[in-house]
Amino acid sequence: MAIATLPDSVVDELVEICGEDRVFTGATALFNRARVPAPFAIHSWESHTPQAVVLPTSAEQISEVVKLANRHRVPVVPRAGGTGLTDGAVPLRHGILVDVKLMNGIHEIDVVDRTVTVGPGINMLKLNEVLRPHGFMYPDDPASYPCSLVGGRIGTNGWSLIGSRFGHVKHLVISMQVVLPTGEIITVGHGGGRKNRSSSSGYQLKELFMGHQGTLGIVTEATLELVKRPELEFSAFWTYTKYEDAWKATGELARSGYATIAGVVLFDEEKIAYLRRDDEAYIPQPESAKAVVALAMYGNADEVRPGAKESMRIGKASGGVYMGDEISHADWAARHDRYATPLHGRIRKTGQVVPMSWHCEDAAILYSKLPEVRERWHRIADTIIEKYGIYDDWGMFAYTSGPYKPWGDYLAEIDIGIWEQELNEENWEGYVWAKREIARVAIESGGSISACHGSCRVGEVDLVPQELGGAYEVMKTIKRALDPNNIMNPGKYLLDDAYEED
Amino acid sequence: MAERTTPGQDTNGQGNGSPPEEFFAEWRNAAYNCFSSGHKFCREVCPVMQVTRDERYTPTAFHANVVAMEKGHLSLEDVADDYTFCTMCGACELRCPNTLFTGDFYRFRQRTIDIVRAVRTLAVKAGIHQPAWKRWADLTDRWGNEPVLGWNTETSATKVRAWAAGLGLPTGGETVLFADCEAAFKRPSVPRSVALLLQAGGIEFGLMNQQWCCGGPMWETGYEDVALKMAEHNLIDWRKTGTKRIICPDPHDYITIVERYPEIDESFDEFEIVLALDIVAELIRDGRLKLTTPVERTVTYHDPCRLNKRLGKWQAPREILRAIPGLTFVDVDRVTQWSYCSGAGSNLFVEQPELTAEISRRRIGKVKELEGVETLVSACPWSERPLTEQGKEQGLEVSDIFELVAEAAGFEV
Repeated sequence: MAIATLPDSVVDELVEICGEDRVFTGATALFNRARVPAPFAIHSWESHTPQAVVLPTSAEQISEVVKLANRHRVPVVPRAGGTGLTDGAVPLRHGILVDVKLMNGIHEIDVVDRTVTVGPGINMLKLNEVLRPHGFMYPDDPASYPCSLVGGRIGTNGWSLIGSRFGHVKHLVISMQVVLPTGEIITVGHGGGRKNRSSSSGYQLKELFMGHQGTLGIVTEATLELVKRPELEFSAFWTYTKYEDAWKATGELARSGYATIAGVVLFDEEKIAYLRRDDEAYIPQPESAKAVVALAMYGNADEVRPGAKESMRIGKASGGVYMGDEISHADWAARHDRYATPLHGRIRKTGQVVPMSWHCEDAAILYSKLPEVRERWHRIADTIIEKYGIYDDWGMFAYTSGPYKPWGDYLAEIDIGIWEQELNEENWEGYVWAKREIARVAIESGGSISACHGSCRVGEVDLVPQELGGAYEVMKTIKRALDPNNIMNPGKYLLDDAYEED
Repeated sequence: MAERTTPGQDTNGQGNGSPPEEFFAEWRNAAYNCFSSGHKFCREVCPVMQVTRDERYTPTAFHANVVAMEKGHLSLEDVADDYTFCTMCGACELRCPNTLFTGDFYRFRQRTIDIVRAVRTLAVKAGIHQPAWKRWADLTDRWGNEPVLGWNTETSATKVRAWAAGLGLPTGGETVLFADCEAAFKRPSVPRSVALLLQAGGIEFGLMNQQWCCGGPMWETGYEDVALKMAEHNLIDWRKTGTKRIICPDPHDYITIVERYPEIDESFDEFEIVLALDIVAELIRDGRLKLTTPVERTVTYHDPCRLNKRLGKWQAPREILRAIPGLTFVDVDRVTQWSYCSGAGSNLFVEQPELTAEISRRRIGKVKELEGVETLVSACPWSERPLTEQGKEQGLEVSDIFELVAEAAGFEV
C-alpha cells in the first residue's frame, strides 16, 4: 500500500515558501514523524503519516504554509519534539507536518527584567546550558527535560516537576507569537510588549493558545521567565510501611507552608515493586517498605535550611524512615531518566521479560481522593492484564501540582506497560477501554482527565465533553471561529463536531 | 534537494531491498527497545541533529526504520541515505535511558552505532552505494591506504612510512607504531612527534613491513570485504615480523583494532594494543620523558569521541596537558563534551562534507566562548582536519596533543 501523497503543485508551493532543502516527502521523513512515545497503534502506522514535512525557519514561512493549507484544504499538524503523551503531534488526517525544530534560536536574554526570548524548537536543557553562566535558569522541568521542546511544552500546557516552587509552563511563558489557523501572526501576552507579566486589558487570551494540542495555531516565538539559579537544593526520601501513612505525610509536608517546596512525590506499593525489578536504590530496601515520599526544596541557603529541618521532623514523626543522603540526592537527580524503562516489562503469568512501551496516564486529582482513585485505577489495570496478558502495572506516582502552593490537587499518574509488538485490533481495544475507564474515575472524583499531557488520545478523549460540560461548547465555537476550514490538526479533541452543523 | 515521492515507487514497502530475516532476528528487539521508549534523550546530544534538526537522522529513527522495514513500510533503498548521517560518536548510546538505568541489570545496551553499521553493510551488499564512500572504498582497496590526499594522489603502502624519514626506525620487532592513514599522509607531524617522544622515553619500537589501513572506516561505511582484506593483511604482517605490541596514536585505529580484529582472528589475544596517549602519560608520570621547554599558551582540549564517549578514556590527555610547563589548560569536562564532535567520524566528511564543516564550525565556536583560549588541542588526527579548517576561518589554532608534547620536550617537528 502506498502512503497518501500531496499533488505535485502543492509540494511545489511548499518548496517556494520554505526552500527546496526544507520540504520532504520521502518515506522515511513521513514514517518517522507519525508517532510520539505514547503507545502507538503500530498495526495502523501508515494511517498516521503526514503527506509532506516542512522545516520552516520563520513565522512568516509558517504563516504562508498555513495560508496555503487553507487554500487547498489540506490539514496542518505542528510538531516540536514529538515527545508528548497524548498524540498532539501525531497526524490523524495526514496533511502537511510543520516541524519547528530548526527554529531553536535564543533571540534575547534580558538579565534586568529577567526574560529570555526563544524559538519554539529549543530544548530546555540546551537553553539552560546557555543560561547557566549568567546565573539563571528556565525552570521548566518535566520528565522529558532532555528532549521536549518549548513549542511542544506550550502546545500541551506542560507541567514541571518543580512547578510548586517556580510555576508550570502557563506561568513561565510571559508572551508568545502565534500563527493563527488562518495564517495571521499575532502576539499574545500581557500588555503591549513581550515582557510584561500582568495586564487587565481585554480578554485573557494567553492560556487559550496553550494546551490546544496544535488545534488553534503554531507558536513561533516565546518570551519566558528567568529565575536565579537556587543556591541550595534539599532533597529527602522516606520509606513507609503503609501507603496511607505515606499519603498523610505527603499532605503534611505539602501544607507545611514553606515557599521553598519545589515538589513532594508519593510512590505507591506497585511503583516500589516496579523499581525493585532492577533498581539498586530500591532492591536493598527492606520488604516492609511499601511506599516512598520524596521532597525537594530550592532557594537561597538561609530560606531552605529551616524548612529542611522541619521537613525532617515531619518525615520522622509521620513514621517515615529516612533513606539516607546518597539515595535522596542521587534519586532526585535521576528522576528524569527513570521515567520509563521498556526493559522492565513483565508478563504477569509467567514473569517473562519483554520490551514494553510505557503508557503514562496522568490526571489531576484532589489530595483527599488519591487513595480511592489509586485503588480504582489499579483494578482497571488488573482487568486488562488478566484479560489480554500483554499489559503490565508499573505503579503510581502522585506529585504536588499547585503552582507556588503545593496543596490542593495532585498530578496522579499510573504507568502501564504495553507489549506493542503483540498489538492487534482486539487487544488495542482493551487498552482504549482502560484509558476511558481511568479517565472516568478521574472525572468522577472531581478531577481532570489530565494534569499535563492533554487528553486527546483515543479512549480518554470521549470523556472530554463530559469533563468540560458547557465549556466544551464554547471550545467548539472558538475552534470554528479561529479555524473556519478545520485545517489545524483536525480530528483532535473531537473538534470535527464543531463543523457538523455546516 | 527536496525529495519527491512518486506514488508506489519508494514508499511503504514498494521500494527495493528488504533486509533478510537474520537481520531482523538480530536487531528486532533492540530496535523495539528504542521504538517503545521513544523518548529521544539522544536527540540533543547528537552532533548531526544539533545541526540538521531533522528527525530522519535521529538515533530513534535509525531504530524505528528497522521496525518499519519489518512491517513492510520501508525498504532498504528508502532508508539507506539516512544512515549516512551519523559520525558514530556514541553520544546517543551514553544518553539512552535504556542503557543508563537498566542496561547493566539486563546486560543490554542500545547499540546505535552497530545498528547504523549493520544497515550500511546491508545496503552495500544490496548494491546501494553512496557515491563518495564507494569511491573512497575502491581507492582504499587499490592503494592499501585511504585516499586522504584527494582522489588523484596515491596513498600507497610503499609511501606510508615516508613520515618517518631520518628517524632510523627498524622494521618490525616486538613493538610497532601504527600510524593511521590520515596522520601518516596528511598530518605527518603527529606520528613523527609520537615517534620522537617514544624514542626519548626509551621505548624500543619499529614500523610495520607494509602497513595498510586499519579497515575501520571501511567497516563503518559498510565495505566489509575491503575492511577484512585490510585487517587480514595487517595481522599477517604483524605475525611475520614477530610483533606482539601495537602502539596506536589514533583513536580510530585503536578502537577498530580492539573491537573488530578479535571478531575475525581467534588468536588475537597474542597481541597487546596500546594507546599512545597512555604510554606518553606514563612516560611523563615516571619521569622518563622530561618536558622542560615551556609552552606559553592557553589551550583547551577536544575529547575525541571514540576515546571519551565510546571508550571512557579522558584522563590521560588531561594529565599530559597539565604536565606541560608554561601551558594554561582551560578544561571543559568530559560530560559536557558528550554533545561535542568534530563531525569527522565514520567518514561523514567524505559523504556529507558540508555537514562535517558545520559541526566543526560549532565546535570551534564553543572554544571561542572560553576566555583567552588560543589553541584547541585534539588527540585525533581525523578531527584535526575539519577543526583546523574551521579554526582558520575563526582565528583559532588547532594542535595535536603529541605535537604540543614534542614541543615541550624540546623537539622541532
